[in-house]
Amino acid sequence: MNSKRHPVEKIYMAIIFLFMYAPIVTLIVLSFNGSKSRAKWGGFTMEWYANLIHDSEVLNAMANTLIIALIATIVSTLIGTAASVALTGMKRRTRSLVIGVTNIPMINADIVTGISLMLLFKVLHFETGFLTVLIAHITFDIPYVMLSVLPRMKTISPSVYEAALDLGAEPFFAFRKTILPDLTPAIISGALMAFTMSIDDFIITYFTKGSGFDTLSTKIYSEVKRGIRPEIYALSAIIFIVVLILLLTSDRIKAKAGKSVRRERSVQREKIRRIGVIALASGASIAIILMALAFGGVFSKNSTQVFVYNAGEYIDPEVIEMFTEETGIEVVYDEFESNEIMYAKVAADGSAYDVLCPSDYMIAKLIDNDMLMKLDPAKIPNALQYIGKQYYESATSFDPGNEYAVPYCWGTVGILYNKTMVDGPVDSWDILWDPKYQGEILMQDSIRDAFMVALARRGYSINSVDPEEIRQATDDLIAQAPLVQAYVVDQVRDKMIGDEAALGVIYSGEAIYTRRENENLEYVIPKEGSNVWIDGWVISRDARNVDNALAWIDFLCRPDIALMNFEYITYSTPNVAAQEMIEDEDIRNSNVAFPDEETLSRCDTYVSLGEDGDRLYNEAWKKVKSAD
Amino acid sequence: MFRDPKKAGTIASPYFVWALIFILVPLAMILWYGFTDDTGAFTAANIASILQPEHAKSLLLALELSILSTVICFLLAYPLGMILAKNKVSSQGIITTIFILPMWMNFLLRTFSWMTLLENHGVINGILEFLHLPGIHVINTPAAIVIGMVYNFLPFMIMPIYNSLSKIDDNVINAARDLGANSVQTFLRVTLPLTVPGIISGVTMVFIPALTTFAISTMLGGSKILLIGNVIEQEFTLTYDWHLGSGLSIVLMVFIVINMVVSALSEKKDEQ
Amino acid sequence: MSKELITLTHISKSFDGQLILDDLNLVIHENEFVTLLGPSGCGKTTTLRIIGGFETPDQGQVIFDGKDITALAPNKRQLNTVFQKYALFTHMDIADNIAFGLRIKNKSDQYIRDKIAYALKLVNLEGYEHRMPDSLSGGQQQRIAIARAIVNEPKVLLLDEPLGALDLKLRQDMQYELIRLKKELGITFIYVTHDQEEALTMSDHIVVMNQGYIQQEGTPEDIYNEPENAFVADFIGDSNIITATMVRDELVRILGVEFPCVDKGFGEEKPVDVVIRPEDVELVPRGEGCIPGEVTHIIFKGVHYEMEVQAGGFEWLVHSTKESPVGSQIDIRVDPFNIQVMNKPASEDEQAIGVEE
Repeated sequence: MNSKRHPVEKIYMAIIFLFMYAPIVTLIVLSFNGSKSRAKWGGFTMEWYANLIHDSEVLNAMANTLIIALIATIVSTLIGTAASVALTGMKRRTRSLVIGVTNIPMINADIVTGISLMLLFKVLHFETGFLTVLIAHITFDIPYVMLSVLPRMKTISPSVYEAALDLGAEPFFAFRKTILPDLTPAIISGALMAFTMSIDDFIITYFTKGSGFDTLSTKIYSEVKRGIRPEIYALSAIIFIVVLILLLTSDRIKAKAGKSVRRERSVQREKIRRIGVIALASGASIAIILMALAFGGVFSKNSTQVFVYNAGEYIDPEVIEMFTEETGIEVVYDEFESNEIMYAKVAADGSAYDVLCPSDYMIAKLIDNDMLMKLDPAKIPNALQYIGKQYYESATSFDPGNEYAVPYCWGTVGILYNKTMVDGPVDSWDILWDPKYQGEILMQDSIRDAFMVALARRGYSINSVDPEEIRQATDDLIAQAPLVQAYVVDQVRDKMIGDEAALGVIYSGEAIYTRRENENLEYVIPKEGSNVWIDGWVISRDARNVDNALAWIDFLCRPDIALMNFEYITYSTPNVAAQEMIEDEDIRNSNVAFPDEETLSRCDTYVSLGEDGDRLYNEAWKKVKSAD
Repeated sequence: MFRDPKKAGTIASPYFVWALIFILVPLAMILWYGFTDDTGAFTAANIASILQPEHAKSLLLALELSILSTVICFLLAYPLGMILAKNKVSSQGIITTIFILPMWMNFLLRTFSWMTLLENHGVINGILEFLHLPGIHVINTPAAIVIGMVYNFLPFMIMPIYNSLSKIDDNVINAARDLGANSVQTFLRVTLPLTVPGIISGVTMVFIPALTTFAISTMLGGSKILLIGNVIEQEFTLTYDWHLGSGLSIVLMVFIVINMVVSALSEKKDEQ
Repeated sequence: MSKELITLTHISKSFDGQLILDDLNLVIHENEFVTLLGPSGCGKTTTLRIIGGFETPDQGQVIFDGKDITALAPNKRQLNTVFQKYALFTHMDIADNIAFGLRIKNKSDQYIRDKIAYALKLVNLEGYEHRMPDSLSGGQQQRIAIARAIVNEPKVLLLDEPLGALDLKLRQDMQYELIRLKKELGITFIYVTHDQEEALTMSDHIVVMNQGYIQQEGTPEDIYNEPENAFVADFIGDSNIITATMVRDELVRILGVEFPCVDKGFGEEKPVDVVIRPEDVELVPRGEGCIPGEVTHIIFKGVHYEMEVQAGGFEWLVHSTKESPVGSQIDIRVDPFNIQVMNKPASEDEQAIGVEE
């Protein structure tokens, strides 16, 4: 009957297999891609695998993932098994009530579970981080354990257990000897399920993790928006291959054991159980090895730390290492995707980070809401000496008296376009409304930048809070939406390099990098004017490591460090001494990196819009995003 | 332990405490936030805001895409479940290989990888171009989101369907044939009805996460397409309005509860 | 004898390279109660499934009422099956279960209602129309399975170990029930079982199978009283099977002692097997019988005592209504009519078919 598989069935299985594995193969291929950009094939390389050993951020995230998964699995297996055993002895009504409650985290949407736990932790003033994530994972793991153990428990007759009691065994001993052996396969499969769910979870972790703590999932999500670091592909490829090998070998052992079934049933059952234990043990030992690789960061928390919250890809990682080497201060480094996301985090927990790097208008908002600390000038000599006076001058627009912020990077917002895909010179924001380029336009996924484009195009102030002007800008953006390929942040870079789009709104700092990778790209500041922005380092009012934070800021202002940073991130530095040290003349004199006075005169900085203004923009932005 | 409710209560008590603090209280929290405003006063405005066009639109779109994904998952999973159930011997291995193994490659990475595959100059279009076939424009459209949903949630449909199919005694199918039913009649009158519980749990396990996702829509929809999950996520991470976010979550929970009730009812009917 | 209804000719079937049926030939007559009897793995269920259409033989033909139905789908055959473990449709109530086949055939509602009532009456389960199968006991479910099959008025009812899952008392009741049903319906029953008692009780005709071969066919009396080989003898009831030598016609040497018997035609000084039923062994006072022995075990079984007797180097099984205590020194005596002489298996192949210890 089931002798041969039908060819149609084979083809169908093959298609599903292809569907499931195409993305995985792609990722493995990317892990050998010589180019940092996923849009380009830069030849075969093992570089990312080699880098992985030193990439403490990724390894830390991996270690966190495994530790959380392992502890959550153990705890939830214990609690879940005990609960399952006890439930079978309860009244039917109690039982179905408890099971109903248990299943909530499994049936409920992850986002609701995540949010509900986050609210609980906030209200109880739990410090979010390792512990809260662990609690969340245990909570959603328990149902998977019970799902596996309960049905098995129902099939086990209590008479053996009672017989053991009758023969004088202690209850726990009797349980261990009579019921546990029968329950073991169900417990193991429940534990494996819990472990897998825990490893794969993103959403619940995302809402409960707090600052300075990442699992692989949340790390990846924060990197998605700007293109994932290839080291992560390498790590995933390794994990995948290890698990694959583990599965194949355990399958083979099982198949071997299966052959002896007919001869000796009980021996075979014993064998399978042993194999299960072996599989679990080897899985655990691999987890431990991986953890050992990455042990450094997790438990070695000391008092000399600084919690840094910076924009994505906004520093040379080597700078962080140098800082730690020179000062002995450990850096807990986190990245945000937008100023608004940063604000939400800091508003929720002011002590989560010591030092932040927001943009001008957001610094103003933070000052307005009394969320920052004044800087002690005596502790930041480099900042006073090397940052150009004109930049402090500009900074007064959002930080009157220069009391709170030290400029870090500055630049403009403009249009990056592909010469081979766009006709004629680009000089106006209007081109972003040209139907000819439908589906070829990338907009910034940021409220202020998106509205800046629309407002500037109509000649309005880019800081307008006039409801009528905002209404018009909103309508314009809605009208533009069908032309837009995507609203992205740092992905503009990869997509423009990979010829995925013809036009993109981008920060000047990215223009230098992208032109290095794709010579057809050109950056322009439209004639209607644009935004000139300054990002600066500030210290949170509730910072716990103020001195370390000041040391961090001052370190970044050292000319050699500022230069290193500039060459890595290619955003214009306000560090005059560093500017003079730039070796490449083209860049030193580049109009993109350091625009001329005439261009700058057309540009404005953002100012804080105030609470009402923010609300106006938020509402309008939601309308734009939900327009078809 | 088995027949003594008191002892059973003692053993289960750590779990009861856990469930109370980390399942029930947090849910109460959402209700509290959802029905109050900044000042702590009662309001229904957070709930009612679902009627605002931008919220309603995102909810309707999320419903549309998640229903579509669920249907596609079902249509893909059922035949696969039948093939697997038919070839009983090694299928457990196959299922793990096909569906559990990919889970070890992070969910976001896998979804991210679809970006590389689906982009205008991505892998799939590259292959199509090589074959001199017209390219496809999928990335940043609802279709891409549906692909991402189907890809991520298909295993949750296949597993329960496979389980309920493999539980059917061969002789029940034989009996139907024996009583004169042809293969189509056997499928419609016996196989399909017997797998309804599996289908329902599969539908639940696909529909709910698809309805509430925000990561998939962000990654494959180019942030252009806002689902209800994105709106809620932004209320918590971007605009920082916990009350509105909770209110919208409550609306979402209504759909989840509807789904639960429907599946509970059909299970009960099945038990009778 | 009535006319031939089903003829199996040269049927062979193997699974995964393992031969299950080898060149099987079998004729089943109309209105017979035929039992396929044998240990598990003997091919009896496969034979039934081939008749039912759930398996296609690798070779050979199935002739039903003069027509070749070898390749016909099960839903097109004029026979119905009662499955092991009932195979009821758990998502339908009893009435819907019974009506299943009739609805497929688009019978009228009235007809279906009448049939359901008739079938439930026949199996003594009136009033169970709207119960769900899960709420019924095993025996009740079995009756429903029978009712579901017979409403379709099949010419042949196939029963695959239908009583296997029931307990002893219920099984005995159902045996009488089945005999009654068979008489009332007047159709052919093909019954598969590994329980020799069931087979002896109900059948008109028994087919004993082992390892894909038919070992012996005949009436229950034939099979019991005159087993053709050691396998059948051993499988049907308890027996003493002893290696012996046929001295000449009507004289056999058992354990060195010559016994008169009634069998002829085995040749002279030929090795044979003899079967002696335990109830045919008589224990008589020392000196009155042929082989001296000693009682080693005794158990009271209700209708008789079961004893083990060590005599002539063989452990005899003896059933007797008279008690002989352990240690009794007695003689064994066997009536010539009760000695059944069988050929020894000639080849190793046949050996394999023989008794398994």
